[in-house]
Amino acid sequence: MTIALALLLFAVQNPPAPAAKVTASIARLFGPGARVDTLQVDSGTVLRVSRGDSLLGFAQVGNVLGKDQPITFLVAIDPADRLKDVDILVYREPYGGEVAYEPWRRQFRGKTVADSLRVGREIRGISGATISVHAVTLGVRRMLAALTAWHQRGAIR
Amino acid sequence: MRTLLSWGLCCALATGLPSLCLGQEHTTVGGYGEVHFTNATGPNTPGVVNLARFVVYLAHTFDDRLTFRSEVEIEDAKVEGGQAGGEVSVEQAFLDYRLGDWLTLRTGLLLAPMGIINETHEPPTFNGVDRPGFDNDVIPTTWREIGVGALGTIPGGSGLAYRVYLVNGLRAEGFSASEGIRDGRQEGQLASFANPSFTGRVEWARPGWKVGASFWYGGTANADSVLGTGSFAAPITLVSADVRYDVGGASFRGEVANINVSDAGRIDARYGTTVGSRIAGGYVEGAYDLLRLLAPGASQKLNAFVRHERYDTQASVPAGVTRDPSLARRLTTFGLMYKPTWNTAFKGDYQFVRNAAGVGEHEVLSLGIGYQF
Repeated sequence: MTIALALLLFAVQNPPAPAAKVTASIARLFGPGARVDTLQVDSGTVLRVSRGDSLLGFAQVGNVLGKDQPITFLVAIDPADRLKDVDILVYREPYGGEVAYEPWRRQFRGKTVADSLRVGREIRGISGATISVHAVTLGVRRMLAALTAWHQRGAIR
Repeated sequence: MRTLLSWGLCCALATGLPSLCLGQEHTTVGGYGEVHFTNATGPNTPGVVNLARFVVYLAHTFDDRLTFRSEVEIEDAKVEGGQAGGEVSVEQAFLDYRLGDWLTLRTGLLLAPMGIINETHEPPTFNGVDRPGFDNDVIPTTWREIGVGALGTIPGGSGLAYRVYLVNGLRAEGFSASEGIRDGRQEGQLASFANPSFTGRVEWARPGWKVGASFWYGGTANADSVLGTGSFAAPITLVSADVRYDVGGASFRGEVANINVSDAGRIDARYGTTVGSRIAGGYVEGAYDLLRLLAPGASQKLNAFVRHERYDTQASVPAGVTRDPSLARRLTTFGLMYKPTWNTAFKGDYQFVRNAAGVGEHEVLSLGIGYQF
């Protein structure tokens, strides 16, 4: 009992660091054992994911502001600039955490910069999570546009 | 959207380096408000314009785990001695200590986690100029009391979230026939803690869906020598359930609540009122975004909605009290809400106010604006 409580307290007070979450997210999206290189582009950092000689895609980590806390998220694209997936790495608000649920995030899969991503149209909202839904959708739209532009002009390859 | 003080550069630099943002102390300012025009039918009922609510949201994050959140509200634009209306109040003020997604500890002046409107009351989030009558007379929004509690989401992507609080109780002295438990709230002002009360909520969410159930249980006697000095003397039990569903351009919401006032007979005798022993009712609402049809390329919204409410603050009465059928109310509201952005709203509606006695029935035209940021 005491040990279980101690373990619980330890787990509570030592949440996985964002770096570990990024690693876990990349492994989930691109499969385990992929190679990750860090590229500097303009003011941003892009993760290049490859295996052997083949490029698997790119990913970027960013923050948007929820009601009063930053929401840390990751966007990954494949070599054809299609959005592979969105991951919520750290969510800190008391309400609105539903944006981390897979059924909401999967709405972004396969989208490209040419697709419209509007809350209430292409992206269904969640009642009570309105601020987070709008913030993350805007963040994803911007990041998808930036990654696509960098890739297409050869700044990342 | 939200203004950040003493934080600015941090997140601008932190793209790709989220750890920089963690633990950074910062202050957030936000707000919401609404201006109403209402005109009831009938003789001597001129239109009234009112800055119904002006609310400032202020939050401060001390570190990764500890955040203060508050709302200060001015109702009816100003408060002046000797004049009717007007209220300045702190609507919420609490500290959150976040241990993880599944557990945040909270203490201070808290919003009761009751139904749809009490916790999510920003004007662009609901159709209609005013809140549903149900959310005044049955669930007394904005309902806040002082206490401690816990909230979080159940891990594993279940879509479940919970909140449980222990707060100060209501005071039966304020109960009334027409507004039920409303004036029994203490709202953090020198509140009696004679009757600690439990309240909580469970929610389930999916894209387009939110389903919730809430409860409140606690005494209301306030150590009155007639009603009883026990912690749970003259208890009330409130249960409610609500659902919100959006599909395509359509959205639906509905809510029901039932309040049992166990000792209504003794409360009525003690304070000379006619509080019901059961207060019950609910509403259903449907809306459709007309811009889906008129302007498919737009990201704005124009909701046409209809809401029907039925509730009775004397659904049951204790022995010796005669039911007043005019308290069995039926409100039907038709209206439009235009939202140029998701957080601003221009509203107009027409409401039919009816009751089982057919007494004092009338209609109300309302116009309003609302914002949140």
